[in-house]
Amino acid sequence: MIEFIEITKAFGGNRVLDGVSVSVQKGQILFIIGKSGAGKSVLVKHLVGLLRQDSGQILFEGTDISNYREKDFYEMRKRCAMVFQHSTLFDSMTLAENVALPIRKHRGVSRTEALTLAMDKLRLVHMDHMADRVPGEIGDGLRKRVAIARALTLDPAYVIFDEPTTGLDPVSAIRVDRLIREMSDRTGVTSIVVSHDLRSIFGIADRIVMLYQGKVLLDGPPADFRGSQDPVVRQFVNGLAEGPMEL
Amino acid sequence: MTALVLRVGAAFLALAEVVGGLAIFGLAVLKACLHPRLDAFETWRNFYRVGVKSLPIVATTAAFAGATAVIQTGHNVVKFRAYEVVGWAFGYSVFREIGPLLIGLMFSGRVGANNTAELGTMKVTEQVDALRTLAIDPIDYLVMPRILAMVVMMTLLNVIGDVFAVAAGIATSKFMLGVDPYVFWNSFVEYVTLTDFFNGVAKAAGFGVAIGLVSCHFGLNVKGGAIGVGRAVNASVVASAVGIFVIDYFITYLLK
Repeated sequence: MIEFIEITKAFGGNRVLDGVSVSVQKGQILFIIGKSGAGKSVLVKHLVGLLRQDSGQILFEGTDISNYREKDFYEMRKRCAMVFQHSTLFDSMTLAENVALPIRKHRGVSRTEALTLAMDKLRLVHMDHMADRVPGEIGDGLRKRVAIARALTLDPAYVIFDEPTTGLDPVSAIRVDRLIREMSDRTGVTSIVVSHDLRSIFGIADRIVMLYQGKVLLDGPPADFRGSQDPVVRQFVNGLAEGPMEL
Repeated sequence: MTALVLRVGAAFLALAEVVGGLAIFGLAVLKACLHPRLDAFETWRNFYRVGVKSLPIVATTAAFAGATAVIQTGHNVVKFRAYEVVGWAFGYSVFREIGPLLIGLMFSGRVGANNTAELGTMKVTEQVDALRTLAIDPIDYLVMPRILAMVVMMTLLNVIGDVFAVAAGIATSKFMLGVDPYVFWNSFVEYVTLTDFFNGVAKAAGFGVAIGLVSCHFGLNVKGGAIGVGRAVNASVVASAVGIFVIDYFITYLLK
């Protein structure tokens, strides 16, 4: 279980998170939603130590990681992987080498062995036939699938997805959603998905947390969102340009 | 007046940030040296990229540096018919000073700038953060192989450059000054000592450290997208050149 407790974070004078508390249950697909700039990505980056909170506490499986140093995060990151919005595959490597890298570094196997294991992971995301390509040669949707394969290499218990379907065509987006659902059902991995893609949210979420003005506006299952009478939630759910939601 | 004070203060702070940042980065690298966890594949890739690919430009630079050194001394050599010192004058200046300095500056422009651009792009596209989330230390994985490759290859390239400079020096003195290669070679081996050679080698190794540290530091601290990468490359080349001249001064002073 992961708990964010009263997290605050400001950039200059802009307070992005203002006492956010969220808990993530094991095995869940939790969506963190909100308009652009609501602090969704900022919140999850705290979990893997890419950002440090101004105040508040983060508990990872009961351990307080709020004051971890960079080195302390390394063991924890093997259990909590992250898929970035722009995939962040390494340009200089083939897709197979990208996936093989964490195996090679952490499993103590040879490069050849790591590449063989990487092929298994690529097969999971149906990308094994493109193993020898480099990231620049394939589209966004395919890159995202490889990024997911790379995140799964160390068999993490938690995976953070930062806007996994943003910028993808509808077919690629549905495939990525399906992949997240399959992964959760098959391996029991806990997924934290940052998104504002309504189709994904209502397609695969077990629970949704909506951030607005640096605070949690609503926290519950998808049905709660559909039935919410809060005007900001209504505006977001219905995708309306007019409404109380601040730009 | 206030504006001037503010401007001077801002410039001082910016300089302090660069120097302080470099010092902290240098300490982190030094710490990593105590428990080296080099990635063999990445190290090999950098040795090839930094060394083999720089060979043509270094050979060309060294050959022209050698030829120029002979032409510069040529006027007096011919005037005083001091043909027996042409090899010495050439070797002393090229081995100790011109060779490592020009190769260092060329290396900084080619390898250092490229390194800053590559790391800077990795930084702004979050590839460095991705590495961290894969529990891989960017200092161990990205920085150490690059610095090692730059130090080793800068030193080796300097030695290879010396060979090309000597060959060009002999050819130039023969065809432009009419000095017999045998006379040039005799003067060269008689007066140019191993100390002169190792003086240049020490400088090359020092330049490699400076270029490696500076280019990695600026690359990993890029802010602000493509514009930031451009600025970092520019700053890296300038800072490397300053570093090269400062190291040149101190090594020259210490090994005089």
